[in-house]
Amino acid sequence: MPLTADVAAQQVQERLRTLHRFIYDIEAERARNEQCIESILRAEKASESSPSNEDSSGTSQQQMQLKNLYKAGLTAAEQEERLLRAALLRIYEIRSIKNERRIQARHAGNKETIGCGALMKMLLSAAQTLPLHVGRVGERAPQLCGAVPADPGHIARAGDAVAALVRVSEKEENWILAEVVSWLPAQGKYEVDDIDEEQKNRHVLSKRRVVPLPLMRADPRTDEHALFPKGAVVMALYPQTTCFYRAIVNRLPASAADPYEVLFEDSSYADGYSPPERVAQRYVIAIKEGKGRAT
Amino acid sequence: MSTEEIHDISMPITEADSSQTHGHDASLTATADDASSSSAATPQSTEGQASRQSNLQRIQQRKQQVYNWPHNKKLLKLAIYSACQTPECTCNGWKTPVPQQALKANQRADNQPLASFNDPCRNCNHVLEKHVTQLQGLPVAEVNRLLGAVVDVENIFMCMHREDDQDTKRVYYYLFKILRKCILTRSHPRIEGPLGQPPFERPSIAKAITNFVLYKFNTLSQREWQTMYDLAKMFLHCFNHWNFETPSVRKLQVSNPEDISAYQINYTRWLVFCHVPAFCDSLPHYETSLVFGRTLLRAVFKSVCKQLMDKCHLERDRMPPEKRVLVLTHFPRFLALLEEEIFSADSPIWDPEFKQNPPNHLQNILDNKTPIRRGEFERVTASGDSKDGFTTVSLSSGTINPIKQEGVKRGAESRSGCQPMSAAKRRRIGSDTGDDVCERTVADIVATITDPNYMCGPDALFQMQAPRDEAAKLEEQRKLIEFHVIGNSLTGAVNKQTMLWLIGLHNVFSHQLPEMTKEYISQLVFDPKHKTLALIKEGRPIGGICFRTFLSQGFSEIVFCAVTSNEQVKGYGTHLMNHLKDYHIRNNILHFLTFADEYAIGYFKKQGFSKDIKLPRAMYQGYIKDYEGATLMHCELNPRIVYTQFTSVVRRQKEIVKKLIDMRQKEVRKIHPGLTCFKEGVRSIPVECVPGVRETGWRPAAGARAHHDHDADADVATLRNVLHAVKNHAAAWPFLKPVDKADVPDYYDHIKYPMDLRTMGERLKSRYYVSKRLFIADMTRIFTNCRLYNSPDTDYYRCANTLEKYFHTKMKEAGLWDK
Repeated sequence: MPLTADVAAQQVQERLRTLHRFIYDIEAERARNEQCIESILRAEKASESSPSNEDSSGTSQQQMQLKNLYKAGLTAAEQEERLLRAALLRIYEIRSIKNERRIQARHAGNKETIGCGALMKMLLSAAQTLPLHVGRVGERAPQLCGAVPADPGHIARAGDAVAALVRVSEKEENWILAEVVSWLPAQGKYEVDDIDEEQKNRHVLSKRRVVPLPLMRADPRTDEHALFPKGAVVMALYPQTTCFYRAIVNRLPASAADPYEVLFEDSSYADGYSPPERVAQRYVIAIKEGKGRAT
Repeated sequence: MSTEEIHDISMPITEADSSQTHGHDASLTATADDASSSSAATPQSTEGQASRQSNLQRIQQRKQQVYNWPHNKKLLKLAIYSACQTPECTCNGWKTPVPQQALKANQRADNQPLASFNDPCRNCNHVLEKHVTQLQGLPVAEVNRLLGAVVDVENIFMCMHREDDQDTKRVYYYLFKILRKCILTRSHPRIEGPLGQPPFERPSIAKAITNFVLYKFNTLSQREWQTMYDLAKMFLHCFNHWNFETPSVRKLQVSNPEDISAYQINYTRWLVFCHVPAFCDSLPHYETSLVFGRTLLRAVFKSVCKQLMDKCHLERDRMPPEKRVLVLTHFPRFLALLEEEIFSADSPIWDPEFKQNPPNHLQNILDNKTPIRRGEFERVTASGDSKDGFTTVSLSSGTINPIKQEGVKRGAESRSGCQPMSAAKRRRIGSDTGDDVCERTVADIVATITDPNYMCGPDALFQMQAPRDEAAKLEEQRKLIEFHVIGNSLTGAVNKQTMLWLIGLHNVFSHQLPEMTKEYISQLVFDPKHKTLALIKEGRPIGGICFRTFLSQGFSEIVFCAVTSNEQVKGYGTHLMNHLKDYHIRNNILHFLTFADEYAIGYFKKQGFSKDIKLPRAMYQGYIKDYEGATLMHCELNPRIVYTQFTSVVRRQKEIVKKLIDMRQKEVRKIHPGLTCFKEGVRSIPVECVPGVRETGWRPAAGARAHHDHDADADVATLRNVLHAVKNHAAAWPFLKPVDKADVPDYYDHIKYPMDLRTMGERLKSRYYVSKRLFIADMTRIFTNCRLYNSPDTDYYRCANTLEKYFHTKMKEAGLWDK
């Protein structure tokens, strides 16, 4: 179904309305949670302050009451979590509607050519709004969250952003930012488009020349293991370009919204590395060994 | 003045119009009724400003007095200037028979004219009555007009008499003759001849000065702007009442004969159209600042300024303190800036098309929402008894018609409350620019689109078409980035900050331009003749344009231009270049040249550079550094554009036009059925054939008209005749009505756009065929459908061929076939 600008706008509007409702619901739920916590605190205080007399029936009654309060608190917290996740889902939906619309507009060939500057802005915002992985307790970050690579059998879906190794001249190959058009199972190849519309567009590349970008951000506070460690050699998108170059992680993101700080390999600087540059999680990927001759 | 001259109607003019001499036995005088007025009417400046004022008043009083005379007395007066109506008589004015002392005394005593309708004329001997018969039936207003002219004639005569300057004297005599003639023929004075008609130059001085205020002070706050506006009004007012020095005086100062003859012409024009009419209101009066332009202002500006300032200094003790500040601090600066624009070769203020949106606060002033305290600057010039012939700002409400004074019009009107300014202004705009939209509408639209709640439609969600430099402009507004023009110096001290920035820029350039050696970059960046526009972010340069200005050649060479790599594609490059352009316009350099390498050509093209060099080679050869393998590119700047605001201005204009279209659409809303002709294979139809287009007021462009007329002859009657003939042809039978699906089940699978003669008849009736092209297309469709579906050996196919030929013949007969 063609996603025209109007349809897309309508869909987004719809999501925004739901989101609007959710925000009130979440607020109400949060208030309820607060009450729960308050009553728990009150009950705890009461049980502590009450002289520890031998009235065991009283104690056990207090314990029962506390237990019930804990239960209620848990349900309320879960409910709030559910609401929050539902709200987040709407945000991600809006994000994907916009992306879908962009891709369709591009394929419709009506050339609402996105200017260079707009493209850069779009890339930045796409990185900032990349869904954040909020795992449940004990859950490990899934594939394509932060630094976690794709599973061997993973096939990127159409529209997914990837780094693609393309030949740019006789003897030079570059890792460029591209998006998947289709997967050709028979050949085991991807069809990808250069994200920069001004370049030669379509490439058909074998799977090993295509590295999917993270689909989720990892939160350093909960999933530090899903981030590249300091000193790791990575491929990172050079700021304000659409090409990946080898770099060394200099500093990890401090928060989920923070970018990495990396040092690009650059022979034009005396020490062989550029000054620190900030690159978002979405654009920092593991180096493909063997073919790492990018300059 | 001899007593003889102090006559009323008995005082004749002796000379005929043709006679050369003036000032003989009788001069034109005022009347005995009012002896004082005989010495009036000398507005020429020797008595200075105060007396000028009273002169004007006295003239008005005198006229009023004359208007109140009894009718007969008026006629007796006019007889002196009126031709004798006796057939064959050529006498041009009644003359008193014998000037007699006795009579005079008498007259004085009883205040009665001595002459009567029966007195014979000394000149032609016909009785006085004969001189006035033609005036008898005239309405009072007309008689009064003629009497007013008589007073003016007498005043001009006085002036002429007193004038020493020969040039000026001649002009008075010329005006004297014109006025006399117009009384004689009872016509209105018309000044024709080599002097030309006002306005003599466009734009007028008043317009240019208004432009100047808009152009120079647009960015000032309201209060400061108001000050400048008041100063401009003050200047214009002075200028309108300025007494220009005579050409003979001017000759002493200026040596260029061309200048002098040009001045002489303008001086004469000024006397005839501005100066004399100011006190002789039977002549058409024009304000100096409205009818003269740059030439005159340039010629007199310096001396005007000097005298103005001298005057201001003389009077400063009498001014209230705030006025003193205005006049002594702001006025000199104002005049200096104005002088720059007046003598600059291509100042935009002289552009007849000059348009600059006034700032909001100014809009209020122009709309007259805020009261303007115009009275104040009049106090500035509480004029003394100056002898310099210099006119100050002591405007009196009685004598000057405020409507004529554009420069001070706004204030004048608001004060006297005679006419709401906005109305007058709008009217003027309407007449000047024809179809232009009224400013109120535009202001409303601007208010709408600047409203933060204004939505620009559903696609705003996906809008990515922001101007290239918008992000950079935003950052500049938030003070995240700054722009500075810096350079090294070998003679003066260079501060540390500048040095550090230059070093930073050197790094940026050498990093971004690997082709250039570091030494070469140092050589230019640190060269005192080169300057660099630096883009500073977080205290450190992240980009810049190094340039060298060749003042004598009127261009700047752009030497290096780079933005550090991780800050590229953020619009900095564009914003840098726009700043550089604005900087150069301020410094009156309007050309950029650069040698662009292969990667830079694209950038420079986006910035308005072209490989087409419009500067003559001699201008730059030997000046600009030559680079091998690079392309020379040129960019000419338009001083009327503020480049850093260009995109937002254009966008806003677009938005306004869009709104105007919306508004128009609401006015003429009608839904027409869509066009189907394109589906049916017509490639194009004339725009005016689209139903409804004409109703919106669309007119074909002049060039397109021929084409349109050509098509307009497709009138219904002619087409009906052709269709009728085709229908009645023997080969038409297969095409008379739509193909029936029951008869030919698969017909519509093959034929997507069926057509038949009956359908065409219906379309003709419903006026679908607004052009013959549509008609031909439908007809041709019938034949091509037929040949498509049927094979050539069928009757159908043959019918199609036959009928088509017949159709062509018929169309040619009707003159509708042009192939």
